[in-house]
Amino acid sequence: MDRDSILAIIIGQVREVVPDLGAQPISGGDAMADLGVNSIERSEIVMNSLEAIGLDLPMVQTHGPRNLGELADLLHAKLNRT
Amino acid sequence: MVMAVGIEDLNVYGGSACLDVRELCVHRDLDIARFENLLMREKAVALPYEDPVSFAVNAAKPLLDAMSEAERARIEMVVTCTESGIDFGKSLSTYVHHYLGLGGNCRLFEIKQACYSGTAGLQMAVNFVLSGTSPGAKALVIATDLSRFALADAAAIQEWAYSEPSSGAGAVAMVVGDTPHVLQIDPGAYGNHGFEVMDTCRPGPDTEAGDADLSLMAYLDCCERAYRDYARRVDGADFRSSFAYLSFHTPFGGMVKGAHRHLMRKLYKAPPAEIEADFNRRLGPSLTFGQRVGNTAGGSVFVGLAGLLESAELAGPCRVGMFSYGSGCCSEFFSGVITPEGQRRLRARGIGAELDRRHRLSMEEYELLLRGEQVIRFGQRDATIDPGTVPAVWAALQGTGRLVLDGMAGYHRQYRFV
Repeated sequence: MDRDSILAIIIGQVREVVPDLGAQPISGGDAMADLGVNSIERSEIVMNSLEAIGLDLPMVQTHGPRNLGELADLLHAKLNRT
Repeated sequence: MVMAVGIEDLNVYGGSACLDVRELCVHRDLDIARFENLLMREKAVALPYEDPVSFAVNAAKPLLDAMSEAERARIEMVVTCTESGIDFGKSLSTYVHHYLGLGGNCRLFEIKQACYSGTAGLQMAVNFVLSGTSPGAKALVIATDLSRFALADAAAIQEWAYSEPSSGAGAVAMVVGDTPHVLQIDPGAYGNHGFEVMDTCRPGPDTEAGDADLSLMAYLDCCERAYRDYARRVDGADFRSSFAYLSFHTPFGGMVKGAHRHLMRKLYKAPPAEIEADFNRRLGPSLTFGQRVGNTAGGSVFVGLAGLLESAELAGPCRVGMFSYGSGCCSEFFSGVITPEGQRRLRARGIGAELDRRHRLSMEEYELLLRGEQVIRFGQRDATIDPGTVPAVWAALQGTGRLVLDGMAGYHRQYRFV
């Protein structure tokens, strides 16, 4: 799975977990907190994305990315290591 | 046959004053949607003459008062569990032991591991009883914590704003022994998960630091992995069907909801509607008191146990799954059995009525307390506390028999019952 497919999965999960975002454009440069996504929702988005990608990782290993693009980079790197 | 062991009696002390969390969120101009997500109503706020010792004694005294002289004499261990310590060497338990008038043949010590401390203390006591080295002996375990930080200026208050609504205060006292009316522990049924992580900490006596996202992630990882360790040890354990009720460490209700959802997704791929119904049925009752005191740290999983005994309808004995997490981090999933008889005992404590009697602080009173002008700081040598900061609270305390902190003399804390 390439990095952009992973980013598309993450953005899809953001929209599913926070339907209030509606048709608002979301890109790799966006940070979830800036989109108004709260911490519980953020963790749910990460968990759902891991599940959709087929990665079984401790959540703490997904900590650090500053925006959705960096999260996609990180998950892409983890996926290629397994 | 394995002997019975567990919590014989339990009490929660939620302070003498509280603040409406919704009012606070409005006052701080916080997003009200975020407030709803906290699932909180009130938080306990400590007065200058209240500290972890007074909270501990005020939680434990009603339990001791209900025991006979002979029973009290069998308390051979007093463990205080806290992240709000007042001295590097001398443990809180020495003061607690003194003001409760307990006998000298007693182990006195303190346990620290953030919010996991209460469970560490309980397991220490449970294993002391199970060891059989002193048949019939009891232990008094008290988890006591309060959040009171040095907020020098508006900037410091702003920085703290994220955790302010959920930071509470409270103590839970538990008598542990071989007649466990309140919670009969399932011996050997536990699972742990711990690893080094810098999620939240108290790097100084009056400061707190942390990363909310990392802390939530560590909590979620621990919840899943501690439960899996439990299931590895306990034949036939099933998270969905083995426990009639659950009580989790509760920084705020929304976090427990997130952890429950995480576990139900990971273990069963359960659909959202089932998860929501299961949360309301099995975890909802545990939020009863936590919603009124805020995060009580070491005691919070037992505040949850008390809340579910207060509010759930028990037709007969049933099993409770308990999850404790302390930042840094260490966690444990364990279980025990509660009964209608234990529920009657717990309800007779009148914990809810005591919480109702607390003074409801105005925002002005709260902000005055936040400045902490009368508060004794770590390392202070001598002090006398003027109890008049919020006169109505002091007046209401008179005649209650509660312990208050008068001051310090040569680093020695001076208390009295009022």
